[in-house]
Amino acid sequence: MQSEIIVTDSLTKFYGKIKGIEDISVEIPSGNVAFLGPNGAGKTTLIRTLLGIIHPTKGTARVLGYDIRKEINQVRDRIGYVPEFDTSFIPDMTAMKFVAFCARMNGLSVSESKQRASDSLYYVGLDEERYRKLGTFSLGMKQKVKLATALVHDPEIIICDEPTNGLDPTGRVQMLSLIRSLQKNEGKDIILSSHLLRDVEQIADYTLVFSKGEIRAQGNIKELTAEKRSSISIKVRSNQEKFLQRLNDKGIESWIDGIYIESQISHDVEKEIFKIANETNADIRYLGNRSRTLEDVFINLFSKEDLIE
Amino acid sequence: MKKAQSDAYVRKFSFRAFEGVRKGRVYRLWATSWQWWTHQWERSRAIKVLLGFIIFILVITNLFLLSFKDFMLYEPGTRIPLINPTTGEPMTTNNLLEQNLLELVRGLVTFQTSFSSQTPGGGEMGMSIGGLSIFILILIALVGSGLIADDVSNLTTEIYYSKLERHEYILGKFGAFFLFGNLVIVLPMVLEFFLLVAGLGEISLIQAFPVLIQTIIITEIIVLTFASIVLGFSALTSRRLYAGLAAFMFLFVLNMIIPSLAFSGQGEVGFQILFDVLTLLLLTSFIITGTTEVIYYPHGETSEISYIIDLANGSGIESWMVIGALAMYILLGFAIVVYQVYRRHAR
Repeated sequence: MQSEIIVTDSLTKFYGKIKGIEDISVEIPSGNVAFLGPNGAGKTTLIRTLLGIIHPTKGTARVLGYDIRKEINQVRDRIGYVPEFDTSFIPDMTAMKFVAFCARMNGLSVSESKQRASDSLYYVGLDEERYRKLGTFSLGMKQKVKLATALVHDPEIIICDEPTNGLDPTGRVQMLSLIRSLQKNEGKDIILSSHLLRDVEQIADYTLVFSKGEIRAQGNIKELTAEKRSSISIKVRSNQEKFLQRLNDKGIESWIDGIYIESQISHDVEKEIFKIANETNADIRYLGNRSRTLEDVFINLFSKEDLIE
Repeated sequence: MKKAQSDAYVRKFSFRAFEGVRKGRVYRLWATSWQWWTHQWERSRAIKVLLGFIIFILVITNLFLLSFKDFMLYEPGTRIPLINPTTGEPMTTNNLLEQNLLELVRGLVTFQTSFSSQTPGGGEMGMSIGGLSIFILILIALVGSGLIADDVSNLTTEIYYSKLERHEYILGKFGAFFLFGNLVIVLPMVLEFFLLVAGLGEISLIQAFPVLIQTIIITEIIVLTFASIVLGFSALTSRRLYAGLAAFMFLFVLNMIIPSLAFSGQGEVGFQILFDVLTLLLLTSFIITGTTEVIYYPHGETSEISYIIDLANGSGIESWMVIGALAMYILLGFAIVVYQVYRRHAR
C-alpha cells in the first residue's frame, strides 16, 4: 500500500465566478481520513473533482497514482462513492437490482455483479430487504444501500460524503461502525467528509480542515489535539476579566481560549494563580492541563464570522 | 451462534477481492441501456398495454389483407388479374406486400397528413386500418420522458457520472431508447413482413427483400428522430411529466397545425411543412422507397382538391430540404442533450 493515496497540485474549481475550491495542494495518506469543514467549505467539490464528476478549472491530482485528467476511468474503478444526497437512486428499483447495476457500470460481469450485490447488501445489513424497492426504504436504509453501491466493485478507496446526515442516533452508530470496519477488517482506505466533529473523531486518524474552498489545517488528529504543555488551563466563574488582567500584571502571560484562560507555565504558577483568585474574588472551577478536542481546533481555526456563516 | 454464522458468511463472500477482469467501456454503456429498458418493461404496464394494441392492429390488418387478397389481385368474380396502375403489369402478391407493409410503416407517423402516390410504395391498395401513430406517440412520451429527467430529479446523475464518462451516459441513454424503439417500432414491422410473406404465399423473397430493407431503414429513422426529440425534452427538465407532455404536444400539435397552413395556398405547398416532424418523416419514407411525387388530398381522395409535391423537380419542396430539415431536428435534440449533460449537469 502506498503512503499517499491522493496527491493534488493547485487543484482549483470555480463555478463561474463562485469559488468551489482554490489552489488545493495536499498529500492525503492512506488510512482513515476526514474532510472536515462547515457546509459550503469545498469538501464535496474536492470529492466530485477527484471522481471526475466536475472538471477542475486549474491544477491536477493523482489518485492511487492515476492522473484524474488523463486516467479518470482508472480512478473511478478504484473509488467507491457514497454521495451526500438523500436520493441518488432509482426509487422504483429494488436494492438488489440497483446495486448490481452499479457494479456493472464499474465493469463487473452480470453474474459477478449479482453475487457481489447480494454480498454487499448482506454486509451492510440489508440482506432481508434486498428485494424491496428503494423508494420504500427509510433514510438509514438508503444510506446503507449507498454504502453497498460503493463497496460492490471492490474499490480501494471509499469516499463517504456526509454518510450520517439525517440519521437517528442508532442509525448513526451503525453507519459509523460499518465504515470503521471497512478500514479495520477489509483494509479499505476511507475518506469521510463531514461537518460533524464527533463523526470525524470516531472515524479518522488524519484530517483536512476546509474553509471557504481552502484547506485551513491538516494533520494527524492526535497531533492536532495534543495537549498544550506550555500552558495551564483555568476556568473561572466570576470576575474573569479582572482575574486575567491581574495575572498579566503579575507577569504571568495569560490569554482567553474559549471558555478557559490559558496561562504560561512557570515555577509555582498554581500558587500564584490561587493567590490572585483570592485577591480578585474569582471562583476557580478548573485548573489543570486540558486536552484539546477537535472542536477546540475547529473553533480556533475559524473566526466568529466563519462559524456564524 | 447467529452472529458467528453471520460473520462466517461475510468473511466467506462479502469481501472476496475482485480478481476478475473488468469489462470494457462498451459493456458499461450497454449495461446502462439494458438496465433502463428492462426496468421500464418491468415497471410500466402502459408499455405492455400499448404494445398489445399495436400487435392487435397488425393482426386485424393481416386478417383483412388475407381475407380480401383475391379481391385485390383479380377482377371481381373472375381469375383475370387486376392491372397495377403504376407498372401496367398484372398485380402480384409482391405488390400487395409492398403496398400494405409500407402503408403500415407510414401509419407510424401518419396522424393528420396522409399522402398517397401512384408510384411504387404508394398506399392506394392499402387495407390497413393504420393510425398506429397515436399509440406510438403516447408510448414514447410515457417511456422516454423520464430517461434523463428522472436522473436529474432523483440525483442519480451523481452515481452515473462517478462511474461513466458523460458521452457514455448520453450514448447509454440513446441506446436505451433505441432498444425500446426497436422493440415497439422496428420489430413489429419486421415481423409483419415475415407474417405477410408466410400468409400471402406465392411471394418471391428475393424481390421482396428490398421492401424489408426499406422498412428497417424507415423505422430506424423514425426511432432516431423520436429518440432525439424525446431525450432533448427529457434533458431540459427534471420533471418527466413536463418532458413527456412537451414531447407529445410538440409532435402532435405541430402535425395538427402546420399541414393546414402549408396546404392553404392554391395548389402551392407552403414551406411551413418543413417544420412538422411527422410530415417530414412521412415524406422521408417516400424518398427512401424511391417515390418522389406524392399527392395530398386535404378533403379525402374523392375530393377534387389535391396537392402534388414533386420532391425532385427542382422547385418548391425538394428531397434534400426534407432530409435536411429532419436532420436539423435530430441534431437539435442531440445538441440539447449534449449541452445539458456537459454544461448544466456539470454544476
